[in-house]
Amino acid sequence: MSEGSEARDAVGDYKAGWHDPENSTIRFDFGLSEKVVRDISQIKNEPEWMTEIRVKAYRHFVERPMPTWGNTEELMEIDFDKVCYFLKSSEGIGSSWDDVPEDIRNTFDRLGIPEAEQKWLSGVTTQYESETVYHSIREDLEKQGVIFLDMDSGLREHEDIVKKYFGSVIPYSDNKFSALNTAVWSGGSFIYVPKGVHVEMPVQAYFRINAKNMGQFERTLIIADEGSSIHYVEGCTAPTYSTDSLHSAVVELLALPGAHIRYTTVQNWSNNVYNLVTKRGVAHENAKIEWVDGNIGSKLTMKYPAVILKGEGSHAEVISVAYAGSGQHQDAGAKVHHMASNTTSNILSKSISKDGGRGSYRGMAKVMPKAENCRMNIVCDALILDEESRTDTYPTMEIANSTAHCEHEASVSKVGDEQLFYLMSRGHTEAEALGMIVNGFFEPFTRELPMEYAVELNKLMSLEMEGSIG
Amino acid sequence: MNPDSVYLSSEMPDRADHLWRYTPWRKAHPTGNVREIPDAVSTPKIVLKTIDGSSLPEGISLVHEQTEFDDLPNEEIITKSFLQSVTKNSKFTLSVIPKFKSTTPIVVDIQTEGNYCATHLCLEIGRLAEFELVTVIRGECKWFGMMRTGSTGEGSVCNDVFVNKLSKGVTLRVESISIPRDSQFKSGTVSSGSTLTKADLRYRMFGPGGSLNVLGSILSAGEMSLDHHIEIYHDSPETFSRLDWNTACGGSSKAVGTGMLRVSKGSAGADAAQLFSNLLLSSDAQADSIPELEVSEHDVVGCGHGTASGPVDENQMFYLGSRGMSPSESKSTLIAAFLNSTLSEMGGDLMHGWLISELEDDLNELGD
Repeated sequence: MSEGSEARDAVGDYKAGWHDPENSTIRFDFGLSEKVVRDISQIKNEPEWMTEIRVKAYRHFVERPMPTWGNTEELMEIDFDKVCYFLKSSEGIGSSWDDVPEDIRNTFDRLGIPEAEQKWLSGVTTQYESETVYHSIREDLEKQGVIFLDMDSGLREHEDIVKKYFGSVIPYSDNKFSALNTAVWSGGSFIYVPKGVHVEMPVQAYFRINAKNMGQFERTLIIADEGSSIHYVEGCTAPTYSTDSLHSAVVELLALPGAHIRYTTVQNWSNNVYNLVTKRGVAHENAKIEWVDGNIGSKLTMKYPAVILKGEGSHAEVISVAYAGSGQHQDAGAKVHHMASNTTSNILSKSISKDGGRGSYRGMAKVMPKAENCRMNIVCDALILDEESRTDTYPTMEIANSTAHCEHEASVSKVGDEQLFYLMSRGHTEAEALGMIVNGFFEPFTRELPMEYAVELNKLMSLEMEGSIG
Repeated sequence: MNPDSVYLSSEMPDRADHLWRYTPWRKAHPTGNVREIPDAVSTPKIVLKTIDGSSLPEGISLVHEQTEFDDLPNEEIITKSFLQSVTKNSKFTLSVIPKFKSTTPIVVDIQTEGNYCATHLCLEIGRLAEFELVTVIRGECKWFGMMRTGSTGEGSVCNDVFVNKLSKGVTLRVESISIPRDSQFKSGTVSSGSTLTKADLRYRMFGPGGSLNVLGSILSAGEMSLDHHIEIYHDSPETFSRLDWNTACGGSSKAVGTGMLRVSKGSAGADAAQLFSNLLLSSDAQADSIPELEVSEHDVVGCGHGTASGPVDENQMFYLGSRGMSPSESKSTLIAAFLNSTLSEMGGDLMHGWLISELEDDLNELGD
């Protein structure tokens, strides 16, 4: 069987599973070593301090054992020597789509990115393999002092800010994969929103893996200064191959006093991608951080967006949905640490397991001894659609202050026969009825998405539900 | 392989292990030296009696046996082998004949002695038996180890309550009970003693129609550290379980409640729920809850869990104050009501009255 037909068969219903011929300008050999780390830094012409951080992170990654929790069997299958850690497909970053190499531009055309940018975005950055290939921001925002760059440009042009905040929320020693990311990071977004500026329309980043056995390690740092606000949306897809790819990002958010950051993710990697991501934000006085997190694709996702409520009156909101289909394990959740008084948090997690998929919620909610009058509410709902599937909930609540009000509830259920019967009595087929119920189940998530994403997600979920009855 | 060899050849657990995260094994070990199995572990005095002092009904007996016993259904190798080692000469079997019935609760009164004391109580409950059982531990030993294993009989109805009244020291408690077809087992824990408690309680429903109700009324005061881990396995269709665990946490004490609810594939019609509730009574008190859930069967009636932690409700305090109660009386009343919501479910009126009388002094202390 040719590679093309093999890929087509494997793609199935996954609409973003095609791949283009690989036209790289720089491609590293498989495997990771200190030399690879130093070479990445040298290619990017980085300052010495960044090279040193990378090397320290690499050494930590080598020494640190794999996590002993989560899906340890699948984690042990990752062969770090069979991953390409740097692949550059374009000579530079285009600020117009005409500047982007034609094959890459075609890819993003098929994914609908330029069209979305014209209609409803304040800025767009697109990453193809290891580096950003296109970047733009609306002029009026630029005039107000909003910085929206790819991370490499951010380091070059605003070294002082990057040096101050890089790794301040997620140090390389946080976990094995944050160490890996810090060692080999490339691409990602750097955003600074000045005091009092409200970015009304969302900015978007789109991440695409095209090559086989590719590792994508983008690094994102968003700083919202006092009283400002921003909504960041990211999407991601990859081709379907018979071998696995690795995506290990680190996202750091800083919401300074009174600021508001909303970070929305629609993760739709193909089912051969390990998605091992560390995301964390720090909210200062009266700031608000929201993670709106959708996980539809990937082979194994381990992702627990976190908020550290450092300032009094700060608030965290995490809305997370996961769909675990055949061969998928979505191990997602949330972490909130109430460090200051009068802080509040809400976590809503929903998952669907189907065709042998496994959905897990894993969470940590902590109230520190000096944090008075904190409120926390966590709700986890799971649907299991067939006898092959599985769902788990692993919440942890550590409450060290007697004035805290904390609640957690979780439920696991199947789609009710009476719900299906009702909808079918109104003329819907079983598949349509199930699609509607599932879309309704995910509605608290989709209503928080920009309209185009919500419509696309509903379509996607309806497609996933086809043939799941009987 | 004898239990000494099993224990000494086992890898000691680290804190990454869920079971040992909050109370490491060295703290629950009698000497703290986890590579040691102490020799001088005494056997407690155990008396079987009725709760009201009346004569024991026929059909129930306690025998001091030193025979080998079956493996635990869902075993944790470290505590199992350790307690097997230290209870070699302290194994008792509580036998209940089929169709045994008693309206008066039966008490297994355990008086601990010496520095280190341990026992293994094996439950052999006959089919269709119906009775209530209280196991109470008392005394002043520095370390007490208690293992309870066994099976309830098919179609039996048993309300079983464990009461910890040790004045100090460390309690290591391991329980593993199998619940067969149509058996209804209620397992209550009342804890107001020991400075440190590490409990690993496991229940497995392996027959259709099995029903389990796990209840906890935990008073955590002073500098106590009470760590209860409860695992419930639904390994058969049409099984039912509920867990309600109420902890009142005062002083600078720390209470941990961890639960694991596993519904295995093939357990269609399983109906399971867990709820951990923590009442925080002082600024230095800490309560941690981890109610975990693993469901591998889609055709379930429902599986859920919840936790709630908070202080005494101010509106309720105000209401009682407006009826003439002092703040201290109001607080004591609300704490008692909170703990009584699970205590009252553990058994009939006779047992409930007895449990209240046992806890009264401790409750007053917590309210202050």
